[in-house]
Amino acid sequence: MNRRQFLGSVSAAALGLWGRPVLATDMPPSKPYRIYMALWRGWEDAAQGFKDYFTNQNIPVELIIRDAGQDRSKLPEFVAEAKQLGVDLVFTWGTTVTVDMLGTYDKVDPTKHITDIPAVFAIVSQPDGAKVVPDLASSRRNIAGTSYLVPMETQVNLLQSYRPVRRLGMVYNPLEKNSLVAADELRALGRRDGFELVVAPVDVADGKPVVASIAPKVAGLKQAGVDFLYIPPDTFLNINRDILTGAALAEKIPSFAAAENPVLFSKAMFGGVYRYYTVGQLTAYKAEQILVHKKAPADLPIEPPKRLSIIINMPVVRALEIYPPMGLLGLAEVVDNSEEVRP
Amino acid sequence: MRLDSSRSLLVRLLMLAVLVLVPPMGLASFMALDRFEQGMNPELDRKAAAVGRDLVVQVERAVAYGIPVDKLVGVDEFFAQVLSGNPEIRYLGITGTDGGILFLRGALSGQLAETYHQQSGGLTGAQDSVDGTTTQIGDFVDLALPVKGRAGLVGAVHVGFDQGYISSRLFSIFYDIAVVLGASLIVAFEILLFVVVFNVSGPMKLVAEAIEYGKKGDFTRMPGIRADDEVGHFARVFNATMRQVDSAYRGLMAYIDEVRTGHFDRDAAEKAGEIAERVRFLFRFDASGAPSFLREKLSSDVRLPLFLFIFAEEISRSFMPLYAQSLPLRLAWLTPEVMIALPIAVFMTGIAIGSLWGGVVTERLGSRRVFQIGLVPAALGCLMSGLSQSVFELSLWRGIAGLGYALVTVACQGYISKTGGGSRQSSGLGSYVGAVLSAALCGTVLGGVMADRIGFAPTFFVSTGLVVVSGILLGYLLEKAAPDQDATTESKDDQRGLSRIFLNWRFSVLVLFAAIPAKIALTGFFFFLVPLMLWNSGHELPEIARIMVLYPLVMLAVSYYATRFSDQWGWRVGQIAVGGILGGAGILLAALFDGTLPLLVGIVFLGVAHGMSASPQLALIPDICWVECHHYGRTRVLALLRTLERVGSVIGPVLAAIFLPLWGAEGAIVAVGSVVLGMAAIFAMLASRYGDGPHLESEEGAL
Repeated sequence: MNRRQFLGSVSAAALGLWGRPVLATDMPPSKPYRIYMALWRGWEDAAQGFKDYFTNQNIPVELIIRDAGQDRSKLPEFVAEAKQLGVDLVFTWGTTVTVDMLGTYDKVDPTKHITDIPAVFAIVSQPDGAKVVPDLASSRRNIAGTSYLVPMETQVNLLQSYRPVRRLGMVYNPLEKNSLVAADELRALGRRDGFELVVAPVDVADGKPVVASIAPKVAGLKQAGVDFLYIPPDTFLNINRDILTGAALAEKIPSFAAAENPVLFSKAMFGGVYRYYTVGQLTAYKAEQILVHKKAPADLPIEPPKRLSIIINMPVVRALEIYPPMGLLGLAEVVDNSEEVRP
Repeated sequence: MRLDSSRSLLVRLLMLAVLVLVPPMGLASFMALDRFEQGMNPELDRKAAAVGRDLVVQVERAVAYGIPVDKLVGVDEFFAQVLSGNPEIRYLGITGTDGGILFLRGALSGQLAETYHQQSGGLTGAQDSVDGTTTQIGDFVDLALPVKGRAGLVGAVHVGFDQGYISSRLFSIFYDIAVVLGASLIVAFEILLFVVVFNVSGPMKLVAEAIEYGKKGDFTRMPGIRADDEVGHFARVFNATMRQVDSAYRGLMAYIDEVRTGHFDRDAAEKAGEIAERVRFLFRFDASGAPSFLREKLSSDVRLPLFLFIFAEEISRSFMPLYAQSLPLRLAWLTPEVMIALPIAVFMTGIAIGSLWGGVVTERLGSRRVFQIGLVPAALGCLMSGLSQSVFELSLWRGIAGLGYALVTVACQGYISKTGGGSRQSSGLGSYVGAVLSAALCGTVLGGVMADRIGFAPTFFVSTGLVVVSGILLGYLLEKAAPDQDATTESKDDQRGLSRIFLNWRFSVLVLFAAIPAKIALTGFFFFLVPLMLWNSGHELPEIARIMVLYPLVMLAVSYYATRFSDQWGWRVGQIAVGGILGGAGILLAALFDGTLPLLVGIVFLGVAHGMSASPQLALIPDICWVECHHYGRTRVLALLRTLERVGSVIGPVLAAIFLPLWGAEGAIVAVGSVVLGMAAIFAMLASRYGDGPHLESEEGAL
């Protein structure tokens, strides 16, 4: 796929909407649907998108919102409470909440997990890899959900459409399986597109990744001659995104992020992501299929939104002086807080 | 072609048709074009402004994000996308504040640089004007729109039009109209010819014949005309008179008989007997009691259905390889070039099989029946070609269409060659070739225009409709006309015996080195390579069709005179030899130089070559295969020749498709041309000995 074709397909996707039915004729039920929302790190865009969908579609819902505050021990309480309240649907945010509350498909325990109440999940990076579902076509369980990671091939095409890359660098946390999978996929695509992947796992001490090793790893990649840095959807790197993107900027390496935070809230140069808000909306659409249209959750495929968001961080672009092609710029959302950054 | 005795009436009607059709259409077209031109200029200006404003917005957005205008990335691709979506825009560019060209696509910077530099001062002045400034630069109309950044003017976006664009568009539309007009005149001519011959001149000829008999005292025949129009009325009155004369004769004879038997005077009886003898000697009346009907089969009976049928089949001529190219290629074990050639090759194979079979079937079932049978696969093949989803599927349906095509054409040839008869054989076949070529003419040009306007698939549906109309027309004619008399039964031995025709070296040489190379040239070069080359050099479908129509056009003109010439001088072998060499040389000529013109010359040469040799080839058959024609019937020998030459039709596109990836388009043309020229040279050498040895031409009179 060349750059122009790729941009064409992206623009088509950007304009495309989900084929969802208009529900104006559906009579609102007298009683609102009760949805139990189990969150991992507070109210954010995916939860907002989920909530707004019901408002926009005029579907009355009563949301029972619980935040674990990244504390795993709270999750069994949530399971018990949801069961006791007898809600219509459970919404789980993130891999941890989903796995702990819904169980994996090969280990479901009706005493510990929610089984009888239908559930939808969001922001699970690898629903099949994490064993939430056996395959993305169907959960074969009483749950449905969405994925939110952009397919690697799309990411690489997007990256190449900004600037052809010969040597792609990647810093990652070796303890996270996601990143290892990403590295393998990148290597395979590199063989196809003719670029080389140079990886730099962060140091691990006492079974924990070392924050201080991030910047030296980036410097090492610079020395290895990489011309683009790939930032995987890695929790450790997401937390330390300022250090990572700051180091990349200091080394004058343009960076591409697979998740929105490094571009939106830090100094990654650009990214191709599904916005959390959009993912939340799509998850709500799945919930609607179950609650309003009485579809079996197992009949709903696990899919990402069709609308890809290309985000360009303009202060970083200006600092690096590596400008995006006109065609890409026309399709991108631009982050430009006018606050100049310095390498 | 022979128009019987109806020429002057037909010519007058045709002139009337031209007078009625051409001036109003010409006037209407002229007025429409004038309106079009008037509307086009402001339309183009608006379009330029719209495209320019859109580009300015995007460039200004980039500039606002802090990207310096001279450091914009991917502008070329960005422009390319806009240009491909707006073919009327010639070029797009961005200049800096000093008028220096930063980005330009679609024109050479040398053509514009000087004007832009001079303009740069003016542009600053026009900073306020959002509409920009329009300048004439050579043949281009340049619209410059200012691009503003945070600190004021940073450059300009240029949108350029070709001054010649409007006139070239107009010219092309005008050409399309002329082509449609010309084609409709040919259709009008064919219909007039049919109407006049079928309704007026044909019956009149019969009446004249009956009168001619009557002049000699022969009252046994009267014209068999069944029609409800004036001609039919006239015929009925004429026949009633004939019957009256007939019954008067019978009354007279009865009276004489009565006198002879009733009179006892021997002298008077003898006298009456003498008178009866005298009357019988001077006048002949039908013994059965009523004059029999006089009917004649005319070769022009099938002309219109045949014309419509060929017209339908030729519609896809100019775009078949391009249509194949547009479909997904499924079979990986063939090169894409061969895949594109496949529908043509399979079509030709279908024709080969069909004509082989058609020859036999025509002898048994009669021409009209075979014509009807052939219409079914033809219509189905046409319809399904339009619905095909892959090249493989298309090839299959083309094969079936080819089968139908062959049945229909063989039936017509057999019919015409039977009705033509005697010394007019070459003219009769010339009439067949004439109908085929004028249909090819209309089909090719209208097909190109249609495919361009409504797409490939709907064009096939139009073809299907025409095939169906042709069938309905034939059904109507069948009802009207007398049943076939040409159905004969033949034993199996005879069929096997026909293969001995190859022992006739004159026939084999004619097939191998004249008929086959002519078809290789036609299908390999003309049907396959020409559309592909023209398309690749950027010609549009109607243009390709207009160029390709040169072949039947030239062939039509040449074959008319070539047929006359061959009938008059009998120099058939020479015409075939010269034709073959001309064709091969023409193809080589097409590849020697670059561009469209040599290709055009090659097509014209091919038209001349085939026009010279096509009908002499058929007419030569009775000369060189007298014995075989006598034994197996001329129809079958002709069908055999046509079947064998189809081998060349099948080889042609495949050969060209094999050459194409090896040596490129021009190399492939050279290769095909060399093959054709070489074979034609061999024919010329061998055919010079046609006169040697036992010759059968002296026996032609016995035919």
